[in-house]
Amino acid sequence: MFESPTLQTLTDYNIWIALPAIALAFGTMFLLVIDVFLPANRKHWTPILALVGIGISFLINLFTYNPEQTSTFGGMFVADAFTGFLNIVVLITAFISVLLSTDYLRRTETNHGEYYILLLLSATGAMFMVGANDLIVIFIGLELLSIPLYILSAFRVTYTDDRDATFVLKSEESGMKYFILGAFSSAFLVYGSALLFGATGTTNLREIFAAVGPILESSAENSGALLLLIGAALSLVGLGFKIAAVPFHMWTPDVYEGAPTPITAYMSVAAKVGGFAALFRLMIVGLSGLTLDAGVDPAAWQGTIQVIAAVTLILGNFVALSQTNIKRMLAYSSIAHAGYILMAVAAVGSAGLVPDIANTAAQAGLVYLLAYAFTNLGAFAVVLALENNDGTGTELSDFNGLYNSRPMLALAMALFMFSLTGIPLTAGFMGKWLVFSAAVQAGLIPLTIIGVLTSVISAFYYVRVIVNMFLLTEDEGSPAVGETAPVRYAVYASMAGVLIVGIAVPLVTNLVNMVSLV
Amino acid sequence: MIQFDFSTIAFFVFAVLTLGGALGVVTNRNLFRGTIWLMVSLFGVAGLYVLLSAPFLAAVQVLVYIGAIAILFTFAVMLTRSLTRLNVRYTRLWPSALGAVLLFAMLVIGVIWPVFGGNELYNQPISDVVRTTTDLGVALVSGEGYVLPFEVASILLTGAMIGAIVIARDADEEEMEQ
Amino acid sequence: MDCTGLCEVLTQGGTDPGLAQFLSILLGVLLVVTVPLITVIFLIWIERKIAARIQDRLGPNRVGPFGLLQTFADLIKLLAKEDITPASADRLLYNAAPLLSLAAVALIWAVVPYTPYHVGADLDIGALYFVAVASLGTLAIMIAGWASNNKYALLGAFRVVALLVSYEIPLVFALLVPVMLAGSMSMVDIIHAQSGMWFIFMAPLAGVLFFISSQAETGRAPFDLIEAESELVAGFNIEYSGMKFGMFFAAEFLHVFTNGVLITILFLGGWYFPGWQMPLIAFMWLGLKAFIPYFISLWIRNTVPRLRIDQVMKFNWFFLVPLSIVNVLILAFLVMVLKEIGWVPVDETGAMALAQAGFIELLPMTIVLFISNVLICVPIVNRLRRMGVEQRAAREQLRTQRAMAAGD
Repeated sequence: MFESPTLQTLTDYNIWIALPAIALAFGTMFLLVIDVFLPANRKHWTPILALVGIGISFLINLFTYNPEQTSTFGGMFVADAFTGFLNIVVLITAFISVLLSTDYLRRTETNHGEYYILLLLSATGAMFMVGANDLIVIFIGLELLSIPLYILSAFRVTYTDDRDATFVLKSEESGMKYFILGAFSSAFLVYGSALLFGATGTTNLREIFAAVGPILESSAENSGALLLLIGAALSLVGLGFKIAAVPFHMWTPDVYEGAPTPITAYMSVAAKVGGFAALFRLMIVGLSGLTLDAGVDPAAWQGTIQVIAAVTLILGNFVALSQTNIKRMLAYSSIAHAGYILMAVAAVGSAGLVPDIANTAAQAGLVYLLAYAFTNLGAFAVVLALENNDGTGTELSDFNGLYNSRPMLALAMALFMFSLTGIPLTAGFMGKWLVFSAAVQAGLIPLTIIGVLTSVISAFYYVRVIVNMFLLTEDEGSPAVGETAPVRYAVYASMAGVLIVGIAVPLVTNLVNMVSLV
Repeated sequence: MIQFDFSTIAFFVFAVLTLGGALGVVTNRNLFRGTIWLMVSLFGVAGLYVLLSAPFLAAVQVLVYIGAIAILFTFAVMLTRSLTRLNVRYTRLWPSALGAVLLFAMLVIGVIWPVFGGNELYNQPISDVVRTTTDLGVALVSGEGYVLPFEVASILLTGAMIGAIVIARDADEEEMEQ
Repeated sequence: MDCTGLCEVLTQGGTDPGLAQFLSILLGVLLVVTVPLITVIFLIWIERKIAARIQDRLGPNRVGPFGLLQTFADLIKLLAKEDITPASADRLLYNAAPLLSLAAVALIWAVVPYTPYHVGADLDIGALYFVAVASLGTLAIMIAGWASNNKYALLGAFRVVALLVSYEIPLVFALLVPVMLAGSMSMVDIIHAQSGMWFIFMAPLAGVLFFISSQAETGRAPFDLIEAESELVAGFNIEYSGMKFGMFFAAEFLHVFTNGVLITILFLGGWYFPGWQMPLIAFMWLGLKAFIPYFISLWIRNTVPRLRIDQVMKFNWFFLVPLSIVNVLILAFLVMVLKEIGWVPVDETGAMALAQAGFIELLPMTIVLFISNVLICVPIVNRLRRMGVEQRAAREQLRTQRAMAAGD
């Protein structure tokens, strides 16, 4: 029967290893109560308390960062270097997004405490997702990550008198699209998970791994291999929506354009981190043994992922060329970057039989995620600084002559654009270099060539922004109404991150080189 | 050989309800009737749960899907009365039919084929312990069971509720507060 | 499935075992359904008599002794009436709605234990089953409102859904209390757990909450805004005539009594009476006890005026829902504490087992829980009174202002 929990049983269950996520969840609930009782003239405390909550969770994460894999809650949640590292990425993303939000919400008259609570809930979901070692927890974490994001995308709707304003409709459209497609993709993930459960009789990823072998070895004709394959394919579709890989990317530009800019910044990173964490865990921990010809081939899914990665790279980069709105351009660029990270996933799968190379590839993917997080958050911070209160000011032409009016912002944007392109000494270069070298080691030469070529193409549209800012000097430049102190801090923090990851490489590689998924 | 007894009859009744209801949903032009057919289908599924000795699941199915979700559907449909008699014909019928058939074929091959016949992997029950509702409750809160998904799901529901209020709150109410 | 009783007899008589089983189950189902359907005929007479007394009338007194056969006369009248289906109605759904409405109530009786030995189906999840089945009634009314193709009917259906969906929350929370005390969702177990002490003494607040929300679930005064004659003509059943109308009517009457029976089972100890366990007497006890809540319900119906929809909603969301949640939380906490102290009877496994304890053993626990319930009520009643006083003062002020304005 049920026993009342004591401190002793709590430590027996190893609950402390899930403490960063639990602390953030507690902080959020605490904030929810505090916010209700804050008087109207003290509402500026809500974002500050949200930052404190994120900071506490960050500290706890540093203290509980342990390289050996430990599991808790009956193996449903694992803490290893992978969890710890991605927790850091999620928390940094949430921190910078809150910084970006405070003044933005005030000047767009959408200042409501629920915003920060939903943002933190979403971050909590991402943190549960990166530590999930069970199909159920992956699904629930994904929903906790997504549902607040649907609402936040539509957050500009309600609180304005001018209900026909374009940005209001765009925000509404964005939330609606994201919700419908997101719900649809969750259904795919659940269906896939159900089939995996049906084939193996367990939802635990390690047990699935153990069960895959016997299924493949048993009588070939009507074994559960097909069930596993369909299950894996449907899960891939579901997660593909979340990370915006190509056949499932349709929602991205519209949602990114319509959502409030700080949310776009947050979502472009956090949703990808969560999605990729689940993809890494599910495909590598759970299904790396899923081969069509036992023990010889690399995992059956890795060919599919290669194709998806190639298509994502090509389409994302080429369509970004023709965009005139910076938010849409960054949306397509984020699709393209999902392609680069998918290269890392494919490399892990392809090198599945050689653990060293596979782990290197996984680490490359993680570094890429961190680099992408800093760079993208910074780029969106600059976009947000330029955005007017009515949602205009996000065209590429609005960047014309920015160096004249705001040289610091222009320099920062240039750095972020260089980093997105992958110029040396920036974070983006480190990420790309690690991913490409891992892909080459894993023998994915054609995919690497596509990656390099598309990077060259991407340079064209990233550099165009720089050209607009520095060379079109006849324009007097945007007034950058959104450039307030917190936004400036966010930009500086992102710049520092980009440079640190780009230059002080060992700092980051030391963190990740304990990651071993295989 | 199929034995003719009470549970067989019940199975066929519920199977017909499930499939017929589903067919009604996709063939009906009237949105309100479509939701009613959906309820019929969901009710059939609840019946199948009973036959699989999962009465708790069956009751929850009726309570949540028919009592809450489907009622919400009908409510939404009734509020938009012009939607109940749709004149627009869905033109891409054949591609979606093809897609459905392909998915169905895939599932038949993938799901039913392995379980059918003499595959020793799927011929044994996963567990022969009959679980009661008490066991379910204990599993939801025990540290070795499902306490993590349970708690995270409750946070998720809180978030969804906050979100619903945020979306539904009226601008006028806001102004009144200030 | 085992084969005993009638099934066994039929099998020995040479019937196919499968068929015998099917027939015996079918007969059981028919029996269980017949009881409430016969009851309802007399309930209508009782209700009309009581209503008449409260309104200082005599009520039906022409057909048969004391007008007992009046209902049969009405039945024949309803059957003979023209059965109208509006031309623009959705025929299938229009005709299905009354059936569903009656079926939803009759289905509840499947889990009602009539006597210690006779129960339709002792489901493991009886309480949950009740909630699930009750939601079908909502559905029936929605279908009726929509299929009639009448705007009054539709408005009535909207109100029903708003009302029923909201009041289901305190209903379920109140239902949780007996379930928690008995440690089981089975109706039979809940009755057995009350062998020493009725739950109404341990959790009077839950009983009151259950009663109020079940009154709302039936859609009777003061919650009868579903069919508010002055605004909606007749609400969802405006287009119905003849026996179809009669079925809605019967479903409503039956629902009220069914709630009485459920309150009896959940809070008044069901068929329990000290020392009397014979089936027939137990059955009569159940019926007699069920008349207590039933009578109170009629009394309220005939004396309290109708509320507005916003008042009803506010009462639910700002009062009943928070109160029911707090009630469950405090009760759960207290029971845990009492268990640690040792005032709660437990079985060998350490689980709470009220069924094994007698009146004396349960007394301390009951007193603590009762006092806690009273303590919850005190601040609430105070607050309600203050609110009432304030509102009345505001209204007075408004009236004097108006009077002064008129005087000028």
